[in-house]
Amino acid sequence: MLEIKNASKIYGEGSAQVVALNNVSLEAGKGGFISIMGPSGSGKSTLLSIIGGLERLSSGEVFLDGMRIDNLSEDAFVNIRRGKISYVFQQYYLLPSLTALENVTLPLTFERHSGHSERALELLKRVGLERRIHHKPGELSGGEQQRVAIARALVTAPSLILADEPTGNMDKKTGDEIMSLFNDLNQEGHTIIMVTHNPEIARHTREIVVLQDGQIVERIRCEGRGNQL
Amino acid sequence: MKLYQIVLKDIMRRKRRVLYAALGVVIGTMTVVGVLTIAFAGENRIYGQLEKYGANLTIIPAISRIDTKVGNLSLGTLSIGENYISESYLPKIREIADGEIRTALNIKDNEPISIIAPKLYVNAEVRGISLVVTGIQSQDELSIKTWWQVREGEFLKTDNQAVVGALTAELLKLKVGDGIPLNKSVLVVSGILEETGSSEDYQVMVPLATLQKAYNKEGLISSVEIRALCNACPVELIALALNQNIPGIKALAVKQIANTEMDLVQKVNRLMLSLAGITLVIGVFGVVNTMMTSVHERTRDIGIMRAVGASRWQIIQVFMYEALVIGVIGGVLGYLAGTLLAYGIGPLIFESASISYIPQFIPLSLGIAVAVAAVATVYPALRATRIRIAEAFRSL
Ligand SMILES: Nc1ncnc2c1ncn2[C@@H]1O[C@H](COP(=O)(O)OP(=O)(O)O)[C@@H](O)[C@H]1O
Ligand SMILES: [Mg+2]
Repeated sequence: MLEIKNASKIYGEGSAQVVALNNVSLEAGKGGFISIMGPSGSGKSTLLSIIGGLERLSSGEVFLDGMRIDNLSEDAFVNIRRGKISYVFQQYYLLPSLTALENVTLPLTFERHSGHSERALELLKRVGLERRIHHKPGELSGGEQQRVAIARALVTAPSLILADEPTGNMDKKTGDEIMSLFNDLNQEGHTIIMVTHNPEIARHTREIVVLQDGQIVERIRCEGRGNQL
Repeated sequence: MKLYQIVLKDIMRRKRRVLYAALGVVIGTMTVVGVLTIAFAGENRIYGQLEKYGANLTIIPAISRIDTKVGNLSLGTLSIGENYISESYLPKIREIADGEIRTALNIKDNEPISIIAPKLYVNAEVRGISLVVTGIQSQDELSIKTWWQVREGEFLKTDNQAVVGALTAELLKLKVGDGIPLNKSVLVVSGILEETGSSEDYQVMVPLATLQKAYNKEGLISSVEIRALCNACPVELIALALNQNIPGIKALAVKQIANTEMDLVQKVNRLMLSLAGITLVIGVFGVVNTMMTSVHERTRDIGIMRAVGASRWQIIQVFMYEALVIGVIGGVLGYLAGTLLAYGIGPLIFESASISYIPQFIPLSLGIAVAVAAVATVYPALRATRIRIAEAFRSL
């Protein structure tokens, strides 16, 4: 469903140039669960940004379900974000003035599905927050905020979820809870690409891609969950 | 949940910033409402003065003066026509004046409408000082000179009384009860008028018939003042009809006098309005400034909205809803502040103008305020659409 061909990303100009991605090719099938690992600055976030249309490629191509998306205009990409690709970030990025339920409903508001708070409610139950729906982000713990963010990512029923270090800000126990949530989602058929530093977490995924200096240096298939790296 | 609900919730979180932006709108609308309220009072004062002028029409004898010359030798000035109007024209004058008003305002009944006050001027010498003695019909005269006030004593009651203008009384050291010799007869001062600032301060008012008799001018008057008791009365038409139908007189519409003063007031009003316009523009810049800060502060939130599927147009809408709220708040506050401003400085601009608040300016004020806020939001909103998600999140 996702195919990246010879993707390169160069930031800056002249002597300040940084090659963040260097000729990366990668594909993910439907129902895939890829974790991207590598040292800090190796280009992991850049790779997710390229897929999610947050950054423009310097060269190369990205296809989603057979459609080229890397050259879409800003306005055309809006439709990709409304149902094909969702993001989950390390910093959650919830709107502080809205409750958990309103934050989860937000993507539907932009799609003008104004009546769909039942689906949002369902998803908040799904992530175990049915007792927190009227709380604002400031009144929730990090783990709870990330669950809200995950519920929000799911509300448009996306085919691909991009998560950049979603457990990066959490203690081990909370991180494990979030990981098992991602695992369940993957079991239900969501395609997930996740950046992580943590091998413990990566081994729960189906495939590990290791980046270094903007290049893929290793791809490891994990046969079934629970495999050791 | 609707987009505007999201905006409202966000505004509740940033009340101070929104109020601050509204302040820029308030300054502009306040000035406009204030100026308009003052301007309104200024024009009303003129209308009030029109009322106070009393007469809408003056009738004087039609006298043409011709300088007669033979070659370079002047033979003096020849006056053609009478110096007086015959009293017998008064019924005709009333008939014409009331008739014109009836036609113009579509009035059916035959009650008298206008007040007609004839008077006779005579130059007389009183206690060695030459002054003008005016013969009046006291009821009619008082109906026109509504602002006359008797300082001491009372107004004319009987045939042998006189009322003295404030300055004349001072000049001649006259008191109530003093006698004024007038040709063959002697009149008693019945009252002294309050100073009015116009020519009657120098006059002595006596009953018309008494003056006519004393100076052998029975049946003669010098002028007639007419007050048509309505603002919409066709004074020019009345003047025209009088001039056409009664020989030997000249009827003038007094409105023309007020018109020049109205011109001045309107010039002042235009000046004030252009100042208000400048304040509006300054207000716009103020709001632009606050809105730009707001865009900056909300970079992260804008990034979040874009990331979960907001289009650029929806980001513009978010800011336009906010502009609407700012406009409504600014419009209401601007109306209140503008009205207060008018009460405060109005009397300094148009002396003796009585300021009153004008509820019809509320929608005007709201309209201006919303327009100002919307115009000021266009550029910041466009800037907000240029925020890219990646940058928004990196800026933290
Ligand atoms: N907006 C940017 N401008 C310039 N350089 C950038 C920008 N974003 C990332 N980089 C650089 O690109 C490289 C890869 O960054 P990133 O993808 O964030 O790495 P990772 O997520 O693996 O830590 C780093 O050297 C980083 O400094
Ligand atoms: Mg990163």
